[in-house]
Amino acid sequence: MTGLMVPVEDVRGLRKLADSTPPKHRPRAGTPLRRAGRVAGYAVLIIAALGLFTPFIWMVISSLKTSNEVFSVPVTWFPEIFVWNNYVEIWTKSDMLTWIRNTMFLSVVVTFLQVLTGSFAAYGFARIRFPGRDALFLVYIGTIAVPWQSYMIPQFILMSELKVSNTLWSIVLLQAFGAFGVFLMKQYYETIPEELSEAARLDGLSEYGIWRRIMLPLSVPALASLALLTFVNTWNDYLGPLIYLRDPNLWTVQLGLKSFVSNLFDTNYALLFAGLTISVIPIAIIFLVGQKYFVEGLATSGMKG
Amino acid sequence: MKRKFVAAAGVAMVATLALAACSASPAAEPAEPGGPVTLSVSGWSIATTPEFQLLADGFEEKYPEVTVELKEYDPVNYNTLLTADLAAGSGPDIITQKEVKFVSTYQEGGQLLDVSDVKLPEGIGGTEAYDIDGASYAVPYRQDSWVVYYNKALFDEAGVEYPDGSWTWDDYADLESELSTALSAKPAFGGYQHSWQSTVQGFANAQTPKADILSGDFGHLEDYYNRVLGMQDDGGQVDFNTRNANQLTYQGEFGKQKAAMLPMGSWYVATLIAQQASGEADDFEWGVAPSPQYDKKTTGTDNVPVTFGDPTGLGINAAIGDDKEQAAKDFLAYAASEEAAQALAAIGITPALLNDDVVETYFSVDGSPTDELSKFAISTHKTLPENPTSSKTAAIQGILMDLHTAVMSESEPIESAIKTAEDRVKNEVGLD
Amino acid sequence: MATTTATDVAGTDVAAGPSPSLRRRRSRLARRNALVGWSFILPNFVGFAALTLVPIVVLFYMSMTNWNVFGTANWVGLDNFQRLVGDGSFRIALFNTLYYSVLHIPLTFAVALGLALLLNSKLRGVAFFRTAAFFPYITSIVAIAIVWNLLFSPDYGPINEVLRAFGLENPPGWLTSSDWAMPAVVIVSTWRDMGYYMILFLAGLQTVPRELHEAARMDGANALQRFFNVTMPSLRPTTFFVTVMLTINSFKIFDLILVMTEGGPGQSTLVLSQFIYTKGFEESQFGYASAASVALFFLCITVTVAQFLANKRRSA
Repeated sequence: MTGLMVPVEDVRGLRKLADSTPPKHRPRAGTPLRRAGRVAGYAVLIIAALGLFTPFIWMVISSLKTSNEVFSVPVTWFPEIFVWNNYVEIWTKSDMLTWIRNTMFLSVVVTFLQVLTGSFAAYGFARIRFPGRDALFLVYIGTIAVPWQSYMIPQFILMSELKVSNTLWSIVLLQAFGAFGVFLMKQYYETIPEELSEAARLDGLSEYGIWRRIMLPLSVPALASLALLTFVNTWNDYLGPLIYLRDPNLWTVQLGLKSFVSNLFDTNYALLFAGLTISVIPIAIIFLVGQKYFVEGLATSGMKG
Repeated sequence: MKRKFVAAAGVAMVATLALAACSASPAAEPAEPGGPVTLSVSGWSIATTPEFQLLADGFEEKYPEVTVELKEYDPVNYNTLLTADLAAGSGPDIITQKEVKFVSTYQEGGQLLDVSDVKLPEGIGGTEAYDIDGASYAVPYRQDSWVVYYNKALFDEAGVEYPDGSWTWDDYADLESELSTALSAKPAFGGYQHSWQSTVQGFANAQTPKADILSGDFGHLEDYYNRVLGMQDDGGQVDFNTRNANQLTYQGEFGKQKAAMLPMGSWYVATLIAQQASGEADDFEWGVAPSPQYDKKTTGTDNVPVTFGDPTGLGINAAIGDDKEQAAKDFLAYAASEEAAQALAAIGITPALLNDDVVETYFSVDGSPTDELSKFAISTHKTLPENPTSSKTAAIQGILMDLHTAVMSESEPIESAIKTAEDRVKNEVGLD
Repeated sequence: MATTTATDVAGTDVAAGPSPSLRRRRSRLARRNALVGWSFILPNFVGFAALTLVPIVVLFYMSMTNWNVFGTANWVGLDNFQRLVGDGSFRIALFNTLYYSVLHIPLTFAVALGLALLLNSKLRGVAFFRTAAFFPYITSIVAIAIVWNLLFSPDYGPINEVLRAFGLENPPGWLTSSDWAMPAVVIVSTWRDMGYYMILFLAGLQTVPRELHEAARMDGANALQRFFNVTMPSLRPTTFFVTVMLTINSFKIFDLILVMTEGGPGQSTLVLSQFIYTKGFEESQFGYASAASVALFFLCITVTVAQFLANKRRSA
């Protein structure tokens, strides 16, 4: 927060958490009834979490079965023998490492560009009034409404003419300049009090300075969620890489896995699930590490320090 | 001002793109006459579909000045990817026709070269699938057809005689229920019917006299569906809804001995042999029987049973350029030849050319059945195309697919589903 | 102090200035604003225009041709749109899409917001539950489809077992019944999407000023009143964003339908995106498919503009 030109107190006051944490002056009710309620609440949450994890758990268990065991009547939830070999096989026989490297590259570059250009453009849409702005913004949103499959072919022809198809850049170009980030950040900027920018403007800060020094630091929760959602979408995208990345050295995890298993005699779902389980791990880690940023903007964490 | 510039740039790009879209033929790279030629051939799952490499190697040996380059595509999205490549002018020289229902699309779009002058061996099957307006646009090298696989061990266990090829569909239904009862303790079903529309409609369309899906008249499907629904109800097979809910695979059901009979295409022969060898499928003795028939007129080994199947063929990219055209046609002629058929049969693939020698080779593969009926089933049949070559086929098959799921899930009775499908063909596809 | 929406750098009423010199100054300011505004937007716009806008403009053009992907595209005017109006399958797809959206939008909105409110706290273990809520979104859609298919299995599935245990004699056939397949899809899609929208709500909740809550509490407002009078108004830009995205994404629903029902049984879960894909890639009628996309575009844009205007009025 070093460069912030407005009194830090103001920002902090505005950015505090909603009322979910009880204020300190209130005595914490420790009655047995309360405690019972809390236990019941946790029980409900745990059951809900189980419901949320079921498909994932099923996928992990299936990844330890033999291929012909995955689907059967009646459903076998647990394999007779755990086939750990599926993991060994997918790791040694496929190019998992190359795929992860490619996917990581794409996800990082796309996320970076999307967050950077998206939040930059969002400031123009949110805070600077000029003729045609709203119409242009509607065009942005409008493009989200067109299903990708329907303009996939014209886009593919265009990318081929530009000689970028069958390179990783095609996916970067495809994903990095979407309207989603612009829209998300614009909405968030509109919640940031104009008084802050006004004060900064009086202090002689340019619009670019305001974006850099005030808007960016104050929109950490939105930036974090945009970054996470972009990362996940790029990580899990299948159709884009399928159309554009023909060279096996360029394959992403999702594309590589599907090609690998369909290249076996018949789709080996046990192997597929082993690969998919591996592919979820990086995202799960990123989420676990990063999730505190969704609820703790810089301002609130500054308050604690 | 900036906006105007951007708008102008946008218009210019649209114009460029529209031009690119409309003239998507690539400039053929000029090659020296008589010099070395490289042909690209499209394929899918090359590691487990060895036929492409086999044909390429065999051809290169015969024509050393030509190099064959395989271009691999995703098997599930083959048509989508190929369409994108052809539209962008980066398609392969030789376009493998995975599904017959797209042949007329490529032909009407001007993507396929007329290959009527490629010489084909006597007795090759499946050529009519590629005939459009009296000209030929591809050459078949592979022709699968539908048969019934049966598990001899389960038949023995149930104390039921092996099939002898004299069955109609009513016989098949009775046998299935008999087997199910006898095997209920195991537990195993008499038969397994996969969820594809082919498993009902393919047979109905091929076997019912005068049936033609292009006519828009689907009354002939009623008997076939009523029979199958009856087989579901009396527990002769896993019902459609359970099959879908549990995503059953035919390889798992038959390979793991959960069903004694399986109507399926001849491609499964090679898969089953491979899966038994690898341990993915149980080790049991099995055989192949001809498809059950519409009536007694075509049953028995002294008749020719009627079944269905689509060929796989090779077409030439219309934009190939004169310098490569002859080499490409040579490749097509080679793929259809007896020499190639022998090589294909040796790896368990049913070639389009099936004479006695080729059948001999086919059954010499380790792990294949050896009984006479299996040989008869693979070699003798009248195979009608599942997808007649027409620009309307894809749309009609889509409508029939909806009929299939509606009827098999028992969410719509067959009579009204047929009526719905016939009306839809009239309104959405149009009849000639 | 309430979170205000932007009061802009300068007014737009260029022509309405009272004196010539003021007008000149205003127009100079307006031009400067336009330049600054565009300089912010341009880096994103260049990529966006070249790679998304141009193909979409081409798509609009193609919707008035008989383009079949290869070769020429002949101009047919509005024929494709006329054909859409008379196409029974298109009508079914349109109806199903709206049916899906009407169920999915409010349900997902409510569940995601509820989750966000619940998980916007520092309770112990809340990080775990936040992760749990997001997991459906990152789990492979193939696995999701398979597991839900098993859960929904009419005869053996756990869901119907439970319903039977509660005395329901004829539980629904879910994905195998033309009446219940769409509700089943809605359940799965809500389950899958709620974590996604929860994250957006969580980010938005960080902008709700705590002082207002405190003040409202002092005034004796109960939790419900505080929610409607404090939280919701502050959350408006986020709810607008979520509503628009949710609407558009619902109208475009495709992947989940494809892996769960493929539009079946019959045409009971056929949706617009699938109709477009089938017409284009299965039947090679790309001109006609483009027309259907344009129709979907206008449907989305109409609803979005309505939301846009409603939002403007409310926040004005």
